[in-house]
Amino acid sequence: MKKDFDYESLGLKIGIEIHQQLASKNKLFCHCPNELQGTRTPDFTILRKQRPVLGEEGKFDKGMLVEFLKKGSIVYEGYYDCTCTYELDETPPFHINEECLDITLEICALFKTEIIREVHICRKNYVDGSVPAGFQRTIEIGQNGKLLLKSGKEIGIENIFLEEDAARRIKTEGKISFFRVDRLGVPLNEITTAPEIHTPEEAKDAAYRIGLLLRSANKVKRVIGSTRQDINISIKGGERIEVKGVQKLDWIPLLVKFECQRQLSLIEIKKDLKKLNLKPSDIKNKTIDLSKFFKNTPCRFVKSGIKNGQKLIALKIPGFKGIYGKELNPNRRFGTEVAEKIKVLTGLQGLIHSDEDLRGKYKFTEKEVNHIKEKLDVGENDLFILLLAKGIPLENALDIILDRTKQAFKGVPEETRRAQDDGTHIFLRELGGEKRLYPDTDSQSFVISEERIQRIKESVGPYPWDIIDDYSKKYKIPGDLFEDLIMRGKLQLFDKLIKILPDNPTLVIRTITDMLKVLHRENRDIEQLEERHFSTLLKGLKKGAIAKEALESILRIWIDFPGLSLEKAKEKAGISSFDLNDLDKIIQEIIDKNIELIKTRGRGATGPLMGDVMKKVGRGVVDGKILSSKLQQLMSPYLSNKKSTKSKKGGK
Amino acid sequence: MSNSTNNEFEGYKPKSIKILKKFGAKTWSKIRIKTKTNTIPSEGIILPRNQFAPDGFVEIKLKNGYNIGIPLDASTEIEVLSQEPKMEVKFDPSKIKKNKKLPNIALLGTGGTISSRLDYVTGAVIPAFEPSELFTAVPELADVCNLETDVVFKIFSENMKPKYWLELAKNVAKKVNACADGIMIAHGTDTITYSSAALSFLLSDLKVPVVLVGSQRSSDRPSSDAAMNLLNAANVAGNADLAEVVVSMLGSSAHDYGFIHRGTRVRKMHSSTRHAFRSIDSSPLGMVRDGNIKFFTDDFKRRPKNDVETIAAKNIEEKVGLIYGYPGISSELIDFYVDKGYKGLILAGTGLGHFPIDTFDSLKRAVDEGIPVVMTVQTIWGYTGMDVYEPGRKMQAIGVIPGQNMIPEVAFAKLCWILGNYDDSKEIKKLITTNIAGEITAREPMNGYQILQGIEDQIEPFKKI
Repeated sequence: MKKDFDYESLGLKIGIEIHQQLASKNKLFCHCPNELQGTRTPDFTILRKQRPVLGEEGKFDKGMLVEFLKKGSIVYEGYYDCTCTYELDETPPFHINEECLDITLEICALFKTEIIREVHICRKNYVDGSVPAGFQRTIEIGQNGKLLLKSGKEIGIENIFLEEDAARRIKTEGKISFFRVDRLGVPLNEITTAPEIHTPEEAKDAAYRIGLLLRSANKVKRVIGSTRQDINISIKGGERIEVKGVQKLDWIPLLVKFECQRQLSLIEIKKDLKKLNLKPSDIKNKTIDLSKFFKNTPCRFVKSGIKNGQKLIALKIPGFKGIYGKELNPNRRFGTEVAEKIKVLTGLQGLIHSDEDLRGKYKFTEKEVNHIKEKLDVGENDLFILLLAKGIPLENALDIILDRTKQAFKGVPEETRRAQDDGTHIFLRELGGEKRLYPDTDSQSFVISEERIQRIKESVGPYPWDIIDDYSKKYKIPGDLFEDLIMRGKLQLFDKLIKILPDNPTLVIRTITDMLKVLHRENRDIEQLEERHFSTLLKGLKKGAIAKEALESILRIWIDFPGLSLEKAKEKAGISSFDLNDLDKIIQEIIDKNIELIKTRGRGATGPLMGDVMKKVGRGVVDGKILSSKLQQLMSPYLSNKKSTKSKKGGK
Repeated sequence: MSNSTNNEFEGYKPKSIKILKKFGAKTWSKIRIKTKTNTIPSEGIILPRNQFAPDGFVEIKLKNGYNIGIPLDASTEIEVLSQEPKMEVKFDPSKIKKNKKLPNIALLGTGGTISSRLDYVTGAVIPAFEPSELFTAVPELADVCNLETDVVFKIFSENMKPKYWLELAKNVAKKVNACADGIMIAHGTDTITYSSAALSFLLSDLKVPVVLVGSQRSSDRPSSDAAMNLLNAANVAGNADLAEVVVSMLGSSAHDYGFIHRGTRVRKMHSSTRHAFRSIDSSPLGMVRDGNIKFFTDDFKRRPKNDVETIAAKNIEEKVGLIYGYPGISSELIDFYVDKGYKGLILAGTGLGHFPIDTFDSLKRAVDEGIPVVMTVQTIWGYTGMDVYEPGRKMQAIGVIPGQNMIPEVAFAKLCWILGNYDDSKEIKKLITTNIAGEITAREPMNGYQILQGIEDQIEPFKKI
């Protein structure tokens, strides 16, 4: 693989779509709580089937028909206390949640979009069963926004949509897909950029900046899975490919590189076919049935398939020798793409083609291979394909092979694909989003008032990257600490707490980030901690009522007993109350006991003495710094010779 | 398309039309539009507008498929790019050959959700889905029956009227006597049980099943129950050894089995769920799953051995009132019906069948003027018990007729039928209190209130098959 492409000459165009869950109290179209239930066992399951519907042209939606013919069923899992008849498509939508709309307007303001004044709720068909209704409700709210990249370049934000999330896929057992509906109806914002991004690095920066901007809004979800991104990629001569489910920003550069390579290879195939003077009409749907001849083949899965009533079908593709075997991405050939499409659309395992090692990989005999060649009249430059299946899946798979092979003449087919963690991606569905959309019949359009838009616009602050710069300068600490605060939605909390400890921003940040991370890792419910806890804690620290070593222990107590006072929490944490006036007395006692040590080791005695003092006072009761300076202060009269001793020591 | 006119500004109001006209735009124009709130021009096709939506907006379908509304004001600039053809929902009915081995079913369309479909452009639900389209939408029907379709009405079911019941009964009798093996009636679910009750009374000597069927989720969505209900209903209509008017709808929220409810015992008990239909005071007659029909009882009429002629009643009385009792109800309401010349009254009383004492004088006046007044219970489940308390006894003394366990709406349909076809007051009273079509049951089984009310496990039954 080429190390890097000259993206400019490739004409690379990238657009990003980001989905961000909103942290409203309730769901978008019903009054259920906007909370996922994690691994909690569902209370009930309902089995449903979905059917293809007749489209505008009076014909069935192709994707849906395929799903339907697979005869799959869907089991929805739900909870009685937090999912309702709306999620199960048993009740029409309630009026749209106003809080979600406000959050969306805030996000629109952050991206400087114009607001659609009269919004219309639309339906987007989903064929995979992930929405019980068979469609997702979605609304275009903002358009014509912009995003400033680090480089100073500005890219367009085409749209901001407010929509409901689909159900969570739990598992697939045979032909039954299991979905949990706690996620269904969770409000999402989809933000799409214009295809104005031209390098993988720019794409990564754009995705990062969109993420940061979203997190700077007040009410967005911040847990894993609450932000999802899709990427649209095209090059000159290629087509738009939508890659869904890009989970990490770091994937983006590799993914873009692989997609360029893939599109270039497909364009190359197109050129090769032209050179060979081949036409799509050369590919004919003419198959032969080899089931009888291969009844006792050494290829085990073919043998058992035939025994179980499947047919082994062969098809010739004239002039295609080498094309199915052409590598598009590492370890992914043209044949792999066709096989994957068959797998996704029919549930069959895939296909066998003559660019593969038929004898080695499949254990076919020479006689068998020759038999196929003879029967199909396979010439020097021809390819043949074997398919093991029966009934409708067989017919569908054949159609897919013919369609996809013919598409090779056009180069890159428009598709929606799913990202894999190695940077490649696999077929998900044919594109055509606009055809999946139609108006929702269960709701009415509504107008967003000018006053509301203005009110929200005025509440929006500066860009987060500017905030990071400003704060970093003001507090003289690295910007990434503030970035972390923004990503966690804790900047406002910081602004309040820093008033208590204006000289120690690092400690304030550590208290509301690192310490919480530790407690979260201990599986504690850090949501119990509120602003009052942190401010009480830091005020206590300032007064000297607690030491900074005790902060974490007290937070730990408050998670379990959020109502306790600081004193009571200290007690429960095993931290005794301590009068600072007693400190001198205690330290003096310890010094008195250790005069000899001080005399011999001078300042070197501080360490062991500190240990004794800490033991006496109790860990976390008084700030170590205070103890240390007090100890130094009280020790100094005994160090009259300290300098000479020390220098003497040093001189030796 | 509903409300379709040749109007070039379909659904738009004066202010909008004035601005659209200024730029030469009309519905189905492809335009580029700019306003002060839409500074980068949007491109889209002007859609017809819902007549209840506010003035001052133009509704367009964008290239990305979304619909949006853009304000029309002095700052608006529109450039018309082209005039697009009106987008209309088409369909391509499949032609299916008659299979001699399958039963012949006549499907009568009346409008409503099962026979409605989405106008993909405007989002309106169109109530006139030709029944023949059902074959295209549900091709599996061809494996169950030969279907002959006929549109009787194209109305939302809330607009049904007693005289339409008569029309429907006439059509059913015609098809039955023309040798259909079964009848299906596609009906909006709002009033499907009124119609099923009415047909139960209006049709006599029925010789095949008459199955009313609808859907709670319109057939334009992948999760629709329309196909399953239709297939179940076709199985019942074509194959069941049954000669009654029934309603067949899903029995659970799962797409699993359908119930066969007696036409006079069924009620819509939920505004929206798939399994909204429940048999009251009894279990359903049976169920249907994957083409298999199972009856829970022997107590139903079977197809007659000898050929008989099915007869539809000739008349119906439309001036019958149905009054829901509530604390403080004014006697004026009853006086109103009497003054307006109503011929019969059904009361839905509280508890065992009570109305407030303040209404007694007016009720007495009604009875004295020869208007039959029938008491039913608003608790839906259970019988009237007008001997138990004194007011009940008093009402009986006035002449109010206890309706036993007739469902209020069923009693209403029954009274419309009786008053349309009988004159003699004694006979009328006798008919009201006599069970004609299962509307009054002699006994309510202990489990009639509980069984098969949609609370059974949702998935286990499916696994058993």
